[in-house]
Amino acid sequence: MNVSFRALPAAWDPRRVGRELGYALVSLPMAAAGLAYLLLLVATGLSAATVAGVPMLAVGVLGARRLGAADRRLARALLRMRVAEPPPFRPRPGLAGWLGSALGDAVAWRAVAYRLAKVPAAILACATAVGLWGGGPILLACPAWWAGSWAQGLAMSAAGAALLLLAPWAVHLALAPERLLVRTLLGQSGAAARISELETTRAQAVAESAAILRGIERDLHDGTQAHLVALAMGLSMAKEELAEAGGDERLDRTRHLVGVAHRNAKQALAELRDLLTGIHPAALDQGLETALGTLAAGSALPVALRVDLADRPPAAVETIAYFCTAELLANAARHSGARRAAIELAAHGDRLRLRVRDDGAGGAAMGRGTGLRGLADRVRVVDGTLEIDSPPGGPTVVTVNLPARA
Amino acid sequence: MRIVIAEDAAVIRDGLALLLTGKGHEVAAAVGDAAALCAAVAEHRPDVAVVDIRMPPTHTDEGLRAAIRLRGEHPGLGVLVFSQHIETRYAAELLAGGSHGVGYLLKDRVAEVSEFLDALARIAAGETVLDPEVVTQIMGASRRAEDLRELTDRERGVLALMAEGRSNAAIASALFLSYGSVEKHVTQIFAKLGLPPSRGDHRRVLAVLRYLEP
Repeated sequence: MNVSFRALPAAWDPRRVGRELGYALVSLPMAAAGLAYLLLLVATGLSAATVAGVPMLAVGVLGARRLGAADRRLARALLRMRVAEPPPFRPRPGLAGWLGSALGDAVAWRAVAYRLAKVPAAILACATAVGLWGGGPILLACPAWWAGSWAQGLAMSAAGAALLLLAPWAVHLALAPERLLVRTLLGQSGAAARISELETTRAQAVAESAAILRGIERDLHDGTQAHLVALAMGLSMAKEELAEAGGDERLDRTRHLVGVAHRNAKQALAELRDLLTGIHPAALDQGLETALGTLAAGSALPVALRVDLADRPPAAVETIAYFCTAELLANAARHSGARRAAIELAAHGDRLRLRVRDDGAGGAAMGRGTGLRGLADRVRVVDGTLEIDSPPGGPTVVTVNLPARA
Repeated sequence: MRIVIAEDAAVIRDGLALLLTGKGHEVAAAVGDAAALCAAVAEHRPDVAVVDIRMPPTHTDEGLRAAIRLRGEHPGLGVLVFSQHIETRYAAELLAGGSHGVGYLLKDRVAEVSEFLDALARIAAGETVLDPEVVTQIMGASRRAEDLRELTDRERGVLALMAEGRSNAAIASALFLSYGSVEKHVTQIFAKLGLPPSRGDHRRVLAVLRYLEP
């Protein structure tokens, strides 16, 4: 409730006065409609003992969430409040999951509480607005209709003028409970705001590090690797020239030195190539489907691949999905004694599900030297999950759940 | 040979031009992207085009796309595609349009200039040249591991060299075998892979392609 006398001149800014008056006037009918909605909700809740009542209650609660969003927009437009958007509704899969998510949705229930608490706040705001903005002009104009003494008329007129002068400030003050309610019940809770901020900055950090790695890979490829190739080529040409240069002791020594240099250059090239593949697999340039196809083709096991993606996920997610698949296929080939493996990648709403299964001996678990722990850590960085289902005797199914959007 | 080079790294492009002109070849054009490559091939009608897979603007696979298009537009043009990484899938795409006069090599191979020049000559002569790395990936991986299991180690070695595009005589000298025993191994490979008798060269390519098929 930032009401100080320094705020007074601002309170008389005509645009702001108009907006606040508008908000105060519409808040009462809105509160009435909201109250009617709440009564409907309570009636539904009472009938929720019946089976049909539960989904209706869930729909009702989500409806309150929707109404809350509309209120938030109105408060932003007319009260110029900066209310943080609460997290979107993310139902769990399945009907039961959806019902549970809806009935347990804190944002929706806070919106219900807002509907209820808004009623007295709106009465206060609306009454203040109507009383002052309505009463002021009537009193001010009293010489036109007052039948009493002119002194009384003048006093009432002055009182009307005072009311009108005070009206913007009073309305602003009377809207304070309204503002408080919007902020606490329709905005994000403190922890939620912090979480959403952390999510944003983490996503930025992940995307940034992916971009940096990509840049390093490109620089190494276009610069260092090209120069190494040219160097090795030059040494090879020099070797050939020297081979035809006849024989004396110094030339033999030179031949030896050039030969060693040539071998070293080739070794450096091979090592650099491995390093670059570890940073950014070239196959990823053509998207996950191609990259996973290359992995499947390169596996020691026969691998069935099914990819169902409409859009390309963020680069960081693609890279993690790629390295997960590579590691899981390698595990299947190395440890499980599997005869075949399958990769499935599909988008489900705003999530990606990567599933790698093999028909091996099973018994895979976190932290048994299989690198699964490391994979789970990498997956968590982008807000993903990794689940292992690997009973003794197999089969092993590892499911990686990743965000499909940044 | 008349040659067109497409490679975006100037240091390699210049090195290749120097190497090839030094060996008495004519470098008709040395360009830095796929569009210039297509124009240069249309203008100069070279025997062979040497093409880097990764070039501007996207630095992904435009060289490969251009090479596939050029092979369609100019039958008889030899194409050597090379890249910093070997992707088996690229090899399969490249060979899908026929295996006459086409090669796919790791860029490192230019570090052995005589082998590189040899590969280029074989491509110009209409042969197929695949990088040993492609062959290793296919042999090591193979989805057709069961077919491969039928082969003896010696036969696998012969198949690997076949996949690189070597003739029987070249295989014989590489493995210190007699020409006759290489022929015997090759016949065994064809039989074990179930390849029907046909024109000899065609069968060699089929044996290799079996492992590239998706």
